[in-house]
Amino acid sequence: MGRYLLTRLVFALLLVFIVSSAAWLLTRVVPGTFVDQECVTLSPKECDDLRKRLGLDRPLWAEYLSWLSHAVRFDFGESLLYSRPVGPLIVERAANTAMLATIALVAATLIGIPLGIYSGTRAGIGRAIVRTLSVIAVSVPPLIGSLALVFLASRTGWFPVGGMSSAGGAEMTWAAWLADVARHLPLPALALAIPMAATLERLQSEAIAASSREPFVAASRARGVARARSILSHAWPVSLRPILGLYGVMIGTLFSGSFIVEVVTSWPGLGRLMWDALKARDLFLVAGCAATGALFLAAGTLIADLLLAYTDPRVRSGERA
Amino acid sequence: MNRQPRALLSVLLIGVIAFVAWRWWSGARPDSPDGGTEIVFSETSTRGGTLTSSLRSEPRTFNRLVARDVPTELFSTFTGSKLVRVNRATQEVEPSIAESWTVSSDNKTWTLKLRDGVTWSDGTPFTSADVLFSFQAIYDPKVESLVASSLMIGGKPMTVTAPDARTVVITLPATAGPGIALLDNLQLFAKHKYEGALKKGTLAREMGVAAPPSEFATLGPFVLKSYTPGQRIIFDRNPRYWKKDAAGIQLPYLDQVILEIVPDQNAEVVRLQAGQIDTLQQHIRLEDIATLRPLEQQGKLRLIELGVSTDPDAFFFNLRSTYWEKDRRRDWITRKEFRRAISHAVDREAFANTVFLGAGVPIWGPVTTGNQKWFSPNIQRYDHSVERARELLAELGLTNRDSDEWLEDAKGTEARFTVLVFRGNSSLERGATVLRDELKKAGVAVDIVPLEQGLVIDRMLKGDFESIFMAFTATSLDPGLNADFWLSSGSAHVWNMRQPKPATDWEKQIDDLMVTVIGNVDQTERYKAFLEIQKIFADNLPVLYFVAPRLYMGVSTRVGGVTPSILRPQLLWNVERMTVQQAR
Repeated sequence: MGRYLLTRLVFALLLVFIVSSAAWLLTRVVPGTFVDQECVTLSPKECDDLRKRLGLDRPLWAEYLSWLSHAVRFDFGESLLYSRPVGPLIVERAANTAMLATIALVAATLIGIPLGIYSGTRAGIGRAIVRTLSVIAVSVPPLIGSLALVFLASRTGWFPVGGMSSAGGAEMTWAAWLADVARHLPLPALALAIPMAATLERLQSEAIAASSREPFVAASRARGVARARSILSHAWPVSLRPILGLYGVMIGTLFSGSFIVEVVTSWPGLGRLMWDALKARDLFLVAGCAATGALFLAAGTLIADLLLAYTDPRVRSGERA
Repeated sequence: MNRQPRALLSVLLIGVIAFVAWRWWSGARPDSPDGGTEIVFSETSTRGGTLTSSLRSEPRTFNRLVARDVPTELFSTFTGSKLVRVNRATQEVEPSIAESWTVSSDNKTWTLKLRDGVTWSDGTPFTSADVLFSFQAIYDPKVESLVASSLMIGGKPMTVTAPDARTVVITLPATAGPGIALLDNLQLFAKHKYEGALKKGTLAREMGVAAPPSEFATLGPFVLKSYTPGQRIIFDRNPRYWKKDAAGIQLPYLDQVILEIVPDQNAEVVRLQAGQIDTLQQHIRLEDIATLRPLEQQGKLRLIELGVSTDPDAFFFNLRSTYWEKDRRRDWITRKEFRRAISHAVDREAFANTVFLGAGVPIWGPVTTGNQKWFSPNIQRYDHSVERARELLAELGLTNRDSDEWLEDAKGTEARFTVLVFRGNSSLERGATVLRDELKKAGVAVDIVPLEQGLVIDRMLKGDFESIFMAFTATSLDPGLNADFWLSSGSAHVWNMRQPKPATDWEKQIDDLMVTVIGNVDQTERYKAFLEIQKIFADNLPVLYFVAPRLYMGVSTRVGGVTPSILRPQLLWNVERMTVQQAR
């Protein structure tokens, strides 16, 4: 197990290095730089001064080596856009994204998995309704889904139209602030959770339908185990294998921030930060965000693998062997 | 029961539920943003309250010396005061911290008298030493200030002295056509706060977004209360603000202004509809007006027409001769007759209807009726006529020499060019499509290439483009303050930037006339010179203009004291006099 964890750690570090370097280099080599828009109305000298001040006047390799020498110490430089170190900027936003992602993941799991078990083991109108709704939810693009929820919020006033907290949050007590954030969470969390729940439902439904046909499930039924217990104790754990595989990707994707949902719902997260950085060609911030995303992806797949080993007896026995 | 009828039944059931929910929901819209209590407006309250506006992007810094984006500009409007300011509604210069001034007979020296009793927000008295310090900071090469060039005449700085604590004498290296309006660009900095940073060469890094609000010393109607990244900026009333209204009431009227950061334009409009913000950062997209009309009819929102945009979308060719020297199209593509043919070929009415949903006026030059002071109604107009366009093209040797729909020159080269346009900008993308369709009728093919904004600008700066359709934002309505566009040496002379000497006779003529516009203090002479410039411009068409949109702002009816301006920030420029009716 120790060796396995070490391998995964090395893999994660390699992934972070490759992804952040690629993000830095791609942002740097694509025509157009951070200062171009300013340069339209500046004299050539003022424009050159600005490039020099921002360290964009050196050859590509010199800039890259300088960035890399700091990046290996997890110092991703200073954001051109915000004139602040990239690290604290990312930590600030990553915390917001993590909060949203956790709620969305829990919501998607609580909605998607039970519905998947239901539709995979039952027949009738209920199953058809669940399956139709999940097709609709999977098909709606995140932009449309988010806008529809924003529209719903504005029409009904059930929850705030956007943002993470109300003005005056700084003066609130901790508990009041938490309650305020909780009021703002449903909109972005649902925008993220609904398509994920639908995906989980579809996958769970197929997986449990297949595992229910396994001989050991039939054997448990033959031993007199009740149908519901047989499904939950025998068929369901085995059916989790593809679900947990998907979880790894989901965790990585969610925790690196969904820029569409965050932009539309004005949630100050990592996805929105990366989007702003990309628009402004802030290569240091882009690389930092990409590295964080890669780290989350690696962590997500690791967590999924560990969960799989925990839930699937075949995986556990394979490990022992 | 087999699966198919079941699926159909479930779809039907979902549809019925959705319809019932929609009907119920249609009547369920709350009257208040809090979703319960109805807001009853106080009839008399003008003092106090909070105004909430949107802000599309995050601030990079609060230091106006090194940034001039919208958030920094708004910060400076809310928290800053100027010696004199240009009233955005009337375009006239009005006293501010300088209560009066005199101009020397040679128009090169201004003597300004500062108001008595003005203090910074931290209570320190404001004196002429602060003005001297501000000029010193702006001109310091280590600061690399972006506003330095706007306070120079012919590349030379002004000389500033302070005979006493309330007097400032500014001597110009040469006369300046815009006159004392130039000082509208001067941002004042507190000497007691930033003198050390200037000496250490770190002033450019001061006033960052992470700096605690208590560290700021400002002179404006509001002080920074907090900035929460990704969420909002909050400003509180500055109790030490120097300005009073005619009744002697200290300004500003509002207690607080909140700028909610809403990066998505659709979400911004939804928030305005929901009453969660009082106004938008900038004008409303024309396609959103129909959505907001019902709120206007319900008395919840006012749609204010600001007038005709002063920043119309512009279409221009690359007129650098070096770019075309090896191109087979060089004999005709940079000729003014070709551009005139394009101007004739475009139906501006159709353009206005398609691109601006009818809310636009045809234009033939960069100065629109929105800029009444400098607009010339007597420039050359190119009426819509495909026949006239074809005649002009034929004079250039472009006729249809084969069976297809496009014209060719004598060498068989097709009349075709590429236009770069900002990707994602709906009005520009629609405009480029109309341009392509209109020119097709004249036999000219246009290939539209939508690119990311930064990429288009990069190509423009490098001179690597055939033509571009884009939007500019003028920094001022006075052409003397936008000289970079008009002068052949200018960095915003987009069709052929930064020429060492004028490439054409007409550009030289414009350069010569700009000397009067920039340096002559006689406003009549300046106006006459600029009329001539517009005439030359319309004759040669280095940039083509088709339609300028009418601009609208949306503001909640609870907001009072609004004085709209065509220049940004269209409503908030006068935030010190804005009021809100408060809920009881």
